[in-house]
Amino acid sequence: MSTHPQLSFVARYSLTLSVLVFLGAALLLPWVGAGPISPARVLRHQSPDYDILLQLRVSRTLLALVAGGALSLAGTLFQAMLRDALATPYTLGISAGASLGAVAVIAAGWETFLGVPMTWIGALAGAFGVLVLAIGGAFRQRQISAFSLLLTGIAINSICAAFIIILSSFAGMSRSFSIARWLIGSIDATSYGSLAALAVVVFLASALILTQARSWNLLAVGERWAASRGVRVGSLLAQGYVLGSILVAGAIALTGPIGFVGLIVPHLVRSRISPDHRLLMPCAFFLGGALLALCDALGRVVMPPAELPAGAVLALIGGPYLVWVIRQRVPAEEKI
Amino acid sequence: MSGLLEVQGVSFSYGSRSVLDSVTFCAGEGEFLALLGINGSGKSTLLDIVSGFRKPETGLVLIGGRNQRRWKLREIAQQVSHLPQAIHADLPFTAKQLVAMGRYPHTDRWFESDQDHISIREAMERTSCWAQRHRSFRSLSGGERQRVLLAACLAQNASTLLLDEPSTFLDIEQQLHCFSVLREEARGGKLCVAATHDLNLALTYCTRLIVLANGVIAHDVRTAQAHDNKDWLALFSSRLNMGKTPAGVPWVWYQ
Repeated sequence: MSTHPQLSFVARYSLTLSVLVFLGAALLLPWVGAGPISPARVLRHQSPDYDILLQLRVSRTLLALVAGGALSLAGTLFQAMLRDALATPYTLGISAGASLGAVAVIAAGWETFLGVPMTWIGALAGAFGVLVLAIGGAFRQRQISAFSLLLTGIAINSICAAFIIILSSFAGMSRSFSIARWLIGSIDATSYGSLAALAVVVFLASALILTQARSWNLLAVGERWAASRGVRVGSLLAQGYVLGSILVAGAIALTGPIGFVGLIVPHLVRSRISPDHRLLMPCAFFLGGALLALCDALGRVVMPPAELPAGAVLALIGGPYLVWVIRQRVPAEEKI
Repeated sequence: MSGLLEVQGVSFSYGSRSVLDSVTFCAGEGEFLALLGINGSGKSTLLDIVSGFRKPETGLVLIGGRNQRRWKLREIAQQVSHLPQAIHADLPFTAKQLVAMGRYPHTDRWFESDQDHISIREAMERTSCWAQRHRSFRSLSGGERQRVLLAACLAQNASTLLLDEPSTFLDIEQQLHCFSVLREEARGGKLCVAATHDLNLALTYCTRLIVLANGVIAHDVRTAQAHDNKDWLALFSSRLNMGKTPAGVPWVWYQ
């Protein structure tokens, strides 16, 4: 009993902190970029500062926040479902499907359709194509297990990778450059309409995932463990798969595959804040969004006027940091 | 016949390999059953079926007199707690978080209530692991882990406890502790069923031995009568023999 108030205080504190970091990123990062923006000019609606801030920087920052949050939450979810700390939004094959869709569109040379970039449509079509195939394949058996999901994902990943290589080798120089660029993943300014659509989808899917937080805790221990405590494992896995896929497909349709955020953020939140999904999931969402927005802002200022793609910045900073964190970790046997 | 648990003619096979063939038994509160049998004799499968994780091909499981199929999984979990054989040891959760998971079927609350915390503490004190409550599960020793998992089962407050080889990998002191905790639970009015390979632990602590062989219950004897007919021993190995300790408890030894 003595520990209960203390624990919930920690819970409230780290969640509040994550929200503050998220809001701070939303408010501050749009001001960061190649050219300085004067707040005074913005307030007076003067061009170009006002337009750059509103049309480019704000929409881009918001996209990074939403997409980063979605990918990071999806990573957390897949890690719980598969009981594999190395699971990422890539692992189940959804992002491979999305990438294949987008790459096919780029290789075909389609650019926009009714003002919507065709890569978005291609990515969404690819992701949901994979989703339908995987559901048909892995879910037709009576027992759905994490293991069958994982194997299906690996198979989908290699098939899609093969098609991507074939497509880009036939695509010609300039298109295969666009393909390579898309595959790194970057945040670009986007229309507020598509941003709003993404935000609504991400909000709904995240809310549904979060309501099951207690069940994810049990599933992260084991399928049998969860089942004998009253979790309907099969239907929970199916729900997680579909909802996680929606998050991943929506986010990477607009940004390209930035899967690393879904590995590093859940890992850090789990070890630094809490492994309890009731806390882990919201914190991972807010901090993941903030991290991706930060990486995007860094990419804008490192060597202007050129911009580094957010996916590359994230990998360059996050990779070494993750290795450092893992090296700091005391092996289980030595811990007191 | 009525009891906490009735298993009637349960059969199960993995593909073409039949594991259980019309298994029938009945057990009531206060009993501590040892489920014995060589590897692959279907002990774990039977426990999975009783816990609702697997569906039997034929046959019925009655829990508290009511067909298990009519219970929701969650209702079963309020009555039956199952400790799987292997729990992934590299879990990030703390001991207390794991034990708290036992409260899952009892509440829809987002966070545990004060009542839940009382149950969690009681369960952890019964298995003497309250001191480790803030430690991460992966940092605990094998014996401490098993105490935590046992506490998680007790916190579930089910009337039937199913344990799949709870004493494997434990040192002798921890094995004795584990089985004495279970015996206490049984004496307190619960039904405990433990699959085990340790015949002497079973003879010392359990009230009844159920020996599975070739998919059927080959022997179903009270521990007190285990000494009268030694046929069941031959199912494990021809080299086994049974005597009595100075205290008069049956004791199995190898030749």
